[in-house]
Amino acid sequence: MEMRAALRTLDPADSDILALEARAQLIPAVFETLVRFDERGEPQPCLATSWSHDAARKRWVFTARPNVLLHNGTQWSPKGGAIELPDDRPLAAILRELAQPAGAIVVRADDGSLLGTGPFRIAHWEAEKSARLVAHDGYWAGRPFLDSIEIRMGRSLRDQEMDLESGKTDIAEVLVTDGRRLRQKGFAISITPFMETLALVFENPRVPDATREALALSIDRATINNVLLQKQGEPSAALLPRWLSGYSFLFPAPRNVARAKQLSASAAPLAFAYDRQDAILRPVGERIAVNASEAGIVLKSSTGPADVRLLCLPITSRDSWTSLADVAAMLKLGLPRASSEFEAESALLNGYRIIPLVHLPRMWAISGGVRNWPRLADVWLDPDPKVKP
Amino acid sequence: MTFRTKLLLLTSLTVAGAVALVTGAVAVSTRRAFERLDVARREALLEQFRRELDARGEELSRRVEQIASSAAIEQITSGAAEYDRAQAEAQEQSLDFLDVLQPDLTIISSAHWPARFGYKNDWNIATGTKSFLARITLPEGNAVALISVRSSPGGKALVAGGRSLNAELLKSLGIAPGMRALLWRAPDDLIDAQGAVQHADKLEPLIAQVKASRHESTATVQWTKQRSSSEAFLGLPLFERGQLMGVLLAGTSLREEMDLENAILWIGIMVGGSGIAIGILLGWWTTRRVTHPVEQLAAGARSVAAGDWSARVEVVSHDEIGELAQAFNQMTQHLVEQRDRAIQAERVAAWRELARRLAHELKNPLFPLQITIENLQRARERSAEEFDEVFREGTTTLLAELSNLKTIVGRFSDFAKMPAPQFERVDVNELVRGALKLYDARLHADDRAPTSLRLELADGELPIAADSDQLRRALSNLVLNAMDAMPDGGTLHVVTAKMDDGVRISVADTGLGLTPEECERLFTPYYTTKHHGTGLGLAIVQSVVSDHHGKISVVSEPGRGSTFIIELPLKQGEQI
Repeated sequence: MEMRAALRTLDPADSDILALEARAQLIPAVFETLVRFDERGEPQPCLATSWSHDAARKRWVFTARPNVLLHNGTQWSPKGGAIELPDDRPLAAILRELAQPAGAIVVRADDGSLLGTGPFRIAHWEAEKSARLVAHDGYWAGRPFLDSIEIRMGRSLRDQEMDLESGKTDIAEVLVTDGRRLRQKGFAISITPFMETLALVFENPRVPDATREALALSIDRATINNVLLQKQGEPSAALLPRWLSGYSFLFPAPRNVARAKQLSASAAPLAFAYDRQDAILRPVGERIAVNASEAGIVLKSSTGPADVRLLCLPITSRDSWTSLADVAAMLKLGLPRASSEFEAESALLNGYRIIPLVHLPRMWAISGGVRNWPRLADVWLDPDPKVKP
Repeated sequence: MTFRTKLLLLTSLTVAGAVALVTGAVAVSTRRAFERLDVARREALLEQFRRELDARGEELSRRVEQIASSAAIEQITSGAAEYDRAQAEAQEQSLDFLDVLQPDLTIISSAHWPARFGYKNDWNIATGTKSFLARITLPEGNAVALISVRSSPGGKALVAGGRSLNAELLKSLGIAPGMRALLWRAPDDLIDAQGAVQHADKLEPLIAQVKASRHESTATVQWTKQRSSSEAFLGLPLFERGQLMGVLLAGTSLREEMDLENAILWIGIMVGGSGIAIGILLGWWTTRRVTHPVEQLAAGARSVAAGDWSARVEVVSHDEIGELAQAFNQMTQHLVEQRDRAIQAERVAAWRELARRLAHELKNPLFPLQITIENLQRARERSAEEFDEVFREGTTTLLAELSNLKTIVGRFSDFAKMPAPQFERVDVNELVRGALKLYDARLHADDRAPTSLRLELADGELPIAADSDQLRRALSNLVLNAMDAMPDGGTLHVVTAKMDDGVRISVADTGLGLTPEECERLFTPYYTTKHHGTGLGLAIVQSVVSDHHGKISVVSEPGRGSTFIIELPLKQGEQI
């Protein structure tokens, strides 16, 4: 498989926030957490089979799964067969943190290598270029179907597509706008839930509130999604998609050009930046500039410092709190203290410093023999695929 | 400034002026010829631009027609194609701009600005026309383009395609060397065949003039400090349905014209310089021929002024200058003749005066001699006793009168025998003191009215080269004259003073004074205003002063006394 991300390491303790997506894809295949979230976002046992607390609810005890082997074949046996965590937070928060890749169980071997309990082990690692994962024969849940996975990192979408078409890879990332074309070529397309949010982020705090609101009101999200993104996304004014938060509809996304014109009267031109090489961001950015122009806001394209920037914010977790925290961290904002995710997100979006536009899924083009994608531990190769490219 | 210099200057200025006039006339004529040629070339360029625009419009219409009738337009209008499908069509037909529009001019697909889909086209489109100019708004700015619009079969869509009025268009004009075409595109973009124009601000006034007048205008722009960088421009406004789309600027380099003007100027300078040099030589030769006789005349006039009345000039021509020389010679000849006649007349007059004086002086003692002799004769006849007494008295009288005669004759003899001065170092102050000392007793004599002496001598010594005896005698004569002029008393005022190159001695009295006529004749020998005297005193003074190479003058006014002023040089001999 190939991917755009170029990872330095697969160490769960690494804080490469820009590679969160790729790390979330690969780390669970090598390292496991005590608990994990299922597709509905519910915590499920993983390396911990059960958990309980003391009478004061200030200490939690996670019972270790028995007969779990590390990648070097040794037994993973926590002291006393359980892991104690002094933590007085609500259980949901504790489980959410434990389910993150950063909470994976990692054992450092005598030679310094990292040992996990996942279905695959790292057989080769060349930072930011390539890796090879091989099946962990002693995996507690049963050996995976694949013997090994070759991973090439730092590949552009164009190179990935060429490799896909030439058979050099079985799995490649593709743009959501290329799905129809690749389907016509015979590739299977795997679409994830909405895992990215296109958003405008004001980097210049001196831009007036009225101008920010005017820009938000000027954007035609529906047309961006329907035409530019070929209806693959979900127009939204929320940071988290509905499937994750459940409340995104509470953030309305009306378009009101007349009101935007009123608010933007005598507004100064704004330096507008986005990645012009990105096939998604470029047309969306141009359309935003046209929408803004209609409302009397001049967005001047900038390749350097900008007043406002169009970004693609990844959804890094199936947990809304974690995703919000990661977004806030990516934008170098503090996650507001709030009693609920909705309050926290409302606080982040207050003042239009962040203007979410569209939620987008990730799209993988998969060669005909790959089955059970996307969880690597479940993937197997069909030797006689019915559909061939 | 001499006449020769003036003449040379006049000649040089005349030559230089003539050359400057000719050079200026040639330069102006050349410039006008260049200007006429430039205007013709620029107008030809403008005409060429119009033809190129028409040709491109036809070609553009053909290409847009092909797109309008293609299957791609059907796909775009039916929604089967992606929103930026127009890009591929524009690229295939080499169009810079392409909008596929609904009949209400809503953009379905845009090649040059895909993000504009769904918005209204703002090119001021008028279907049915062949091609037109339009101002295109782009994300990165504005452009002016030649646009053609065609309707798709069935009329479901309009296809508006265009090509930019850009540097490539200007390059295709095939402009003659020394010329170039620039295009100002509204609102503020100026290009030439190479792209953006440097220092475009220099053309802003011309563009503003064209925009304001909405007609052709011309201007000259000097790009650098060198005049040869100048370029003449003709601005042609490009209108489309009353809206100014751009200004075509046809420029002609003035380098060749400037170079030619410079060459003419340098030739003029060289010719002028040569002309001036030749003029100076010819002028020098001519003026020498003219001024040489004049200079001779001037020298002759100076000689005459110095007393040489025998001066003559050479008569070398028969023109006005020759006549002037002849007149000069005649004048000097007449002057000499008049002088000779005057001298003769003066001599005669002097001899007459001498005779009169001699007669007068001699007659006075002769009369007593005659009376005395007659008394002696009568006494001899009357008695012997009386005769002895008369004889004694008579002989005494005769001796006295004879002595008087002898004195008179001696004075005349002294004047005639005035010797040449023997120069020695003489202190004028000392000499004046010595001379006045001799008259001190007489000034204070009882039988004389009170006469005071006021002596003002210069500080220190006043040494000069002089004959002390002659100078003392001259001073004595002046002092005596002054005393004689003050019979009723007065003040004798003697002053010595040092001058730059000599000394001055003035002897003044407060006597009766002299009339101007008396002053004129005062130094004439044998002339006197007194009832006694020979009239030789002042003549002797003048003779002494003259022998000392000095001069004497008198300032006098009747009733106010007279002042005699002697000026003597410090040295005698070669230094004089």
